[in-house]
Amino acid sequence: MIEGSLSNRIRALRFHNGEMSQAELGDRIGVTRQTIAAIEAGKYSPSLEAAFRIAHVFDVPLVEVFRWETRP
Amino acid sequence: MPYREKIAWLSLVAMAVTFGPYFAVAAAGPFQHEALPNLGQLGLFAAAAIAQMLVLGAGHLYLRRMSPEDAHTPPDERDRAIMHRSISSAYYVLIAGMIVVGCIMPFSSSGWAIIDAALVTIVAAEVVHYSVVVFSYRRQA
Repeated sequence: MIEGSLSNRIRALRFHNGEMSQAELGDRIGVTRQTIAAIEAGKYSPSLEAAFRIAHVFDVPLVEVFRWETRP
Repeated sequence: MPYREKIAWLSLVAMAVTFGPYFAVAAAGPFQHEALPNLGQLGLFAAAAIAQMLVLGAGHLYLRRMSPEDAHTPPDERDRAIMHRSISSAYYVLIAGMIVVGCIMPFSSSGWAIIDAALVTIVAAEVVHYSVVVFSYRRQA
């Protein structure tokens, strides 16, 4: 199995979108503020649908939000 | 702290303060030698069950008043994943307990010993259920 981890740029994207709050982003994609915090911290991997919703909110491709980093 | 984690903590506390003393008294055995239906034991169980309902009711009302929006928010995908994991874990405890209570204990015990063993199984399954919920939310906090 390929070893690696999922990283994300949600914090930076929120900042570049008028310092959008975690609660507002959560409302827009249908999850709680705590779930956004867990995703941002890399402690919860969202479903593919939620990941696409997040990318859609920021109007960027999915790879601009989430990135898979392979461990050597 | 997520609303559903608060509910899980509340449920754990409610069980600890009601069925903890119940099992302690039942194990001490003041009612062990009474004939069935053993109203003393039945009364003790009724008191524990009513106390648990009161603690849970008061706790739910308090939590709803403190965060009314969170209380009405439907579970999201993470909540559902945690719920699924916790129920799966509790199911194994419940099944193992019920095999002991239903298939083994009838050959060696009777009366309230079997009823109490069934109650221990149900409470243990609930403790596992809510503990997994709390652990999952803490791990992802």
